[in-house]
Amino acid sequence: MNFDWSVVGAHRDALAAATGMTVLLTVATMAIAVPSGIVVAALRLYAWTPVRAVATAYVELFRNLPLILVVYWAFYVLPIATGLGLSPFATGLAALALNVTAYNAETFRAGIGSIRRGQLEAAMALGMSRAQAVRRIVLPQAVRRILPVLASTWVSLFKDTSLVSVIAVSELAYVAMQIRAQTFRVLEMLTAMAAVYWLLGYPQAKLVDWIQRRYAVTE
Amino acid sequence: MSRRAKESGARIIRYRGVVKRYGTFQALSGVDLDVHAGEVVCLIGPSGSGKSTLLRCTNALETIDGGEIEFEGARLPRDGRALRDIRRRMGMVFQSFELFPHLTALHNVAEGPRTVLHARRAEAEDRARAMLAKVGLSDKASNYPAALSGGQQQRVAIARALAMEPDVMLFDEPTSALDPETIGEVLSVMKALADEGMTMVVVTHEMNFARRVGDWVAVFDAGRIVEQGPPRQIFDAPRTERTRDFLSHLGWHGQTL
Repeated sequence: MNFDWSVVGAHRDALAAATGMTVLLTVATMAIAVPSGIVVAALRLYAWTPVRAVATAYVELFRNLPLILVVYWAFYVLPIATGLGLSPFATGLAALALNVTAYNAETFRAGIGSIRRGQLEAAMALGMSRAQAVRRIVLPQAVRRILPVLASTWVSLFKDTSLVSVIAVSELAYVAMQIRAQTFRVLEMLTAMAAVYWLLGYPQAKLVDWIQRRYAVTE
Repeated sequence: MSRRAKESGARIIRYRGVVKRYGTFQALSGVDLDVHAGEVVCLIGPSGSGKSTLLRCTNALETIDGGEIEFEGARLPRDGRALRDIRRRMGMVFQSFELFPHLTALHNVAEGPRTVLHARRAEAEDRARAMLAKVGLSDKASNYPAALSGGQQQRVAIARALAMEPDVMLFDEPTSALDPETIGEVLSVMKALADEGMTMVVVTHEMNFARRVGDWVAVFDAGRIVEQGPPRQIFDAPRTERTRDFLSHLGWHGQTL
């Protein structure tokens, strides 16, 4: 079998741009899914019962659907539902954010639930409202505790962004597949793609490990 | 100062017929008790007799199912801002300290003034430093709770409560989770507070503290106060069989240590 690795070099600009798009998708998804995850978790924990039920239904729906199905669904349903012609990027971002928000909500809920009740009581005994106590005392501890879980979600998400290639978002997987289709250099492009995902993913995982060690709370 | 002298001061907390249930379990079955300004009231009795429950009802960490609790002449609000305003005037110290593990000792103490009283950072930290000095922990300001001994953590917890400038301090078995060698440092901080005239309600198993520092002692059993009076009466001449039983189980035979 012949290998022609020059195909990778020849398309390096396109691959670099696509890698940038993958990173952007990951960062943008997390930028949406962390705050929304906190909000959904808070609704599940503290809201008025009907609101709580809606939040629970949302989490259970999106946590138990294959992401690729959500991506297709967003692509076909969102334009009809909203009447907006969303770009593939916005559509992919929405699908990813819907999925990851559900996971993050569960992560935050578990983290908040793991902080013992006495912490909330100690804060409220000082005269804080429940919202202040959660924001100032419970949440900062919960976040530190769940950092490893958020980190693996982050790395999973970084790889899962490849799924939005099915709706032609020009991220790494899509662009690499396009080049593969044009050049028939299948193994070269798949290997290059694997190398980029791994080389970017591994340091991210290590970075988060470091953050976790740095900000861990000892009790 | 005797109880009688202090009774001329204002009555700060008034419990009348307080009832608390957990499901079918009756934790409190009609408790009457008064706490006056400057007084140290000690709640003693076997585990599960309701003394901690009464303390937790005082700042509405638990809601009562019957009777009433008055703070400075007004019935305790059930929730909202009015309740929060009262909570911040009642400092609370927990058996398990409940320091905030993600904050240094200084920031644990400054947190209340910052968040609840909206003090400026410098002002809150100055006050926190003064409170840490008061409990003898000026040198531990930048330590996290995990780096402090149990006794030191409990003293930080006392400083945290004092930083709110409370009218009353509530202590829920403050030394029960401590190693024997650190109990003394916490009790002496509490004694110093009592000597300054702080009004205190103390749930405790430290009979010597109740005897020597308390102005009034209430003996709990099965959700009721079976006897209350000055420590001299409770410890030297108990009037009920239940009090005598409880004290003799603790090995108390009227001695003053």
